[in-house]
Amino acid sequence: MAINSQHIVIIGGGPAGLEAASCLGTAGYRVTVLEKEKQTGGKLLIWDKLFPEFRNSDKVLNHLSNGFKTNPPQILTNAEVVSVIPENGQHRINLRDGQAFQADTVLITTGFKLYNAEKKEEYGYQIYENVITSFDLEKQLKTGNPIRIEAGLTPRRIAFIHCVGSRDIKSGNIYCSRTCCITGVKQAIEIKRRLSDAEVFNFYMDLRMFGQNFEELYIEAQQKWGVTFIRGRVSEIAENKDNSLQLKAEDTLSGRPIKMSFDLVVLLAGMVPEPRTVEIGKSAGLEFTSGNFLAGLDSHISQNETNTPGIFIAGTCREPLSVAETLTDARAATVKMISWLRENETSHKKPLIKRDND
Amino acid sequence: METEGKKRVWEEYQKEIADDHYFYVRSCIRQTFFPGSETTFLKILQNDLKKDVFEDARHTTCTGIGYHTDIVPLETTMTVIARHFALMTEAGYVNIIPSCVTSFGLYTEVLDTWRHFPEIEAKIREYLWKATKREFKVPENLVHTSDIIYKFRNRIKDLSKVSLINKKTGLPLNVVEHIGCHYSKMFPQSGVGGAEFPAVLTGMIEAWGGTVIDYPERRHCCGFGFRQYLVKANRGYSVSNSKKKFESMQPYQPDFMVANCPGCSMFLDRWQYTIAEMEGITYDSNGTGIPVLTYEEMAGLVMGYSPWDIGLQMHQVSVEPLLDKLGIEYKKEDKYLGSNGQNIGEPQKPMFLIV
Amino acid sequence: MGKLYDRLNQDIRFIEGLNGCLNCGVCTAICPAAEFYHYDPRVICATVQSKDEKMIEALIRSETIWYCGECMSCKTRCPRNNTPGFVIMALRKLSQELGYFTDSEKGRQQFAIKRAIGGNILRTGYCVNPDIVSPQMHPEQGPVWDWISMNTPEIMKKMGSNYKQAGVGGMRAIAPEVLEELDRIFEVTGCYTLFDTIEKHSKHKANELGIEISDEGIGNEYFMTVYTENNGSHNG
Repeated sequence: MAINSQHIVIIGGGPAGLEAASCLGTAGYRVTVLEKEKQTGGKLLIWDKLFPEFRNSDKVLNHLSNGFKTNPPQILTNAEVVSVIPENGQHRINLRDGQAFQADTVLITTGFKLYNAEKKEEYGYQIYENVITSFDLEKQLKTGNPIRIEAGLTPRRIAFIHCVGSRDIKSGNIYCSRTCCITGVKQAIEIKRRLSDAEVFNFYMDLRMFGQNFEELYIEAQQKWGVTFIRGRVSEIAENKDNSLQLKAEDTLSGRPIKMSFDLVVLLAGMVPEPRTVEIGKSAGLEFTSGNFLAGLDSHISQNETNTPGIFIAGTCREPLSVAETLTDARAATVKMISWLRENETSHKKPLIKRDND
Repeated sequence: METEGKKRVWEEYQKEIADDHYFYVRSCIRQTFFPGSETTFLKILQNDLKKDVFEDARHTTCTGIGYHTDIVPLETTMTVIARHFALMTEAGYVNIIPSCVTSFGLYTEVLDTWRHFPEIEAKIREYLWKATKREFKVPENLVHTSDIIYKFRNRIKDLSKVSLINKKTGLPLNVVEHIGCHYSKMFPQSGVGGAEFPAVLTGMIEAWGGTVIDYPERRHCCGFGFRQYLVKANRGYSVSNSKKKFESMQPYQPDFMVANCPGCSMFLDRWQYTIAEMEGITYDSNGTGIPVLTYEEMAGLVMGYSPWDIGLQMHQVSVEPLLDKLGIEYKKEDKYLGSNGQNIGEPQKPMFLIV
Repeated sequence: MGKLYDRLNQDIRFIEGLNGCLNCGVCTAICPAAEFYHYDPRVICATVQSKDEKMIEALIRSETIWYCGECMSCKTRCPRNNTPGFVIMALRKLSQELGYFTDSEKGRQQFAIKRAIGGNILRTGYCVNPDIVSPQMHPEQGPVWDWISMNTPEIMKKMGSNYKQAGVGGMRAIAPEVLEELDRIFEVTGCYTLFDTIEKHSKHKANELGIEISDEGIGNEYFMTVYTENNGSHNG
């Protein structure tokens, strides 16, 4: 096939970056993916099973690499981008190690970082040994080993705490991280699948079951798996003498304060922007949302374009999204990028790479 | 429990504590129930640490208890506090140190409100001028007196005669620390260590050799609740909240409790007596109750002050079991003597609580 | 008289205390009053936030607003930086200004507090001093306090206090000219207006109930009634 000489750099080799790379490659563009880790895949590498159908994350990773059969991108790992600077109508991408790349257009897909749950001091993460995050649990699930608490025992009562670092002005994050609700439902079911005798509780403010089959999964958790849902944000966690955890909340539907003990508490920590996303965004003159994510040009009609022409954004670097939404978002971004490249091809100042038939 | 995690929390809440030259304002509750604590604080600061602490005889209550029982309007309380700022300014001081946690919380709240609403500060300045012809500068440094002891905990350790260690076993004593709600729950940044894991008492206890117990109801209020204690009909609220704390700390077998709030230390002492007499329960294994100290008393003992000079006879729960563990020598027969060693009688024995 | 909600909105504590509640319940979860009484600070915020005048009026005539202990533990946790304790303070102020506080058993206690604490501040310059903690009224203080009460000057002396004397020191006598300054502050800042309002409505209530009430002090039947009465219907 004819390869368009225009060069696209994608910063971040997670689900958004890889999906975009395969779309742009298929469309005939020359793509370079810069991944800061030693391996592409992003958070999918951590995740064991994906909601709502408990598909192995490997399947999505396979889909992504299958996309590279025609015109595969150049993928560089251990390539940490520090800045993106406009230069002669193009963009210069500088790496930590001093390397630089030139691109006609850039797609930023740097993803998110898990909210540092230590900041919710009242939950005692990294202080009380049986308080873990949803990430910690997912890593444990991925090993396939039986679920154990710190002392090596099987937990009998497990609580999931929603909205940790989300919808919380005090923690600095006003926004909703969106995917924690369904993650809590998914992980609660996974625990019940492995420990059928365990009592599993979810403490929530609102359950935002926005996606296809999410509400169905919530019903399944209640009806089939006997997971209990209590509408109340957890106010504090304290450690009992036996290292179990005392949790205080209000059951707001009955209007009474409740105090319960658990062997294991899972904090559904929200999404925050990667610090380097902010760094890169600032270098490229991009705007940010109130939550410090990268801001799209328009919240309805051009979420993937930015205020800097030629720089596009996709995935969770611009707002909290599920894996499915991230992939959709990446594909949407590529359409906008291709349009932009075509519009800018004729007025391109730099000569194109000469093709054989030129 | 991971202490590294706690240390990271503490690092978030390092507050500035002035090094010297303090304008001191007393606590109504402390002066009433444990007056030896304020005397001990001043002795340590002035005699042992050679610090300049100034007290103006014209300072009064901050009206805090009236304010928190809702009979004194906010404007009145602000103006009384502004008058204390005026006395401080007139005396040439910029660092103010309230002895009371309710006062400290209110001073902090007042300054915070003025920062957000300068027009309120302007109005209070007018009120103060109209009422007293006084003017003031806001303090440069506002800290609670427990912050001062915290700041000098290592100096005190250097001068100490006693460690918080069981003399017989050589093991650190197990200490329950209780922080007054108004110390940092309203303004976490104003407390050493913040609101969730305050370090102000922990820092002292650990510096002086003890171990701190983190029990599930550590953060819960002692139950004072202002009107909930002051009005007899409401006292069930107070005692039941303290009881909840006692039950929660009991499994850890604390050697003593220490509080930084004048009200809390009194209630944690008195309610043990009340519960013992009403229900025949104590929360230790010997029927004597868990001794409760103020942080000034704890510092005084560490400095080697005599227990009866600092006022430990004013506690209802006997402190002797603790003194024995610390290896502090004392004369039981001197406990209730008057200022010149004269006999002024002794308290009666409770029915149940062993003293 | 404006709308109740508008009057609340003039109180700086209300402005600072309620910035839109999302009904999560973290306040109620750790509220000492919620565990002891039929009390839910979240519901208080929801009620006030509704701006329903009838519901707000019912609230400030109710026992409910008097259950809070003003420990302010709610302030630490609220994810919206609200302080239900401040909202309560604004509601109590309004309840007293309108005389609604005498409708409830717990509200009527304001009279006892005004006479005891308010009187003490003006008389002595202290909220609390040993004289007002009488062993009869405070049996929970125990026999050590009885002993202290019987020997207060001597024990205060031993403790290094300057009990009821001029000059600096613990429990010293506050000079008359200082008390005059306090008196003028109370006048200028409206504290006496609040005191008078509490007195007026309490006297009205005492007369309505046929209970003896004096012009000052705590030695009257109405004081003892509101100080000790507990109909037992406040708890869970």
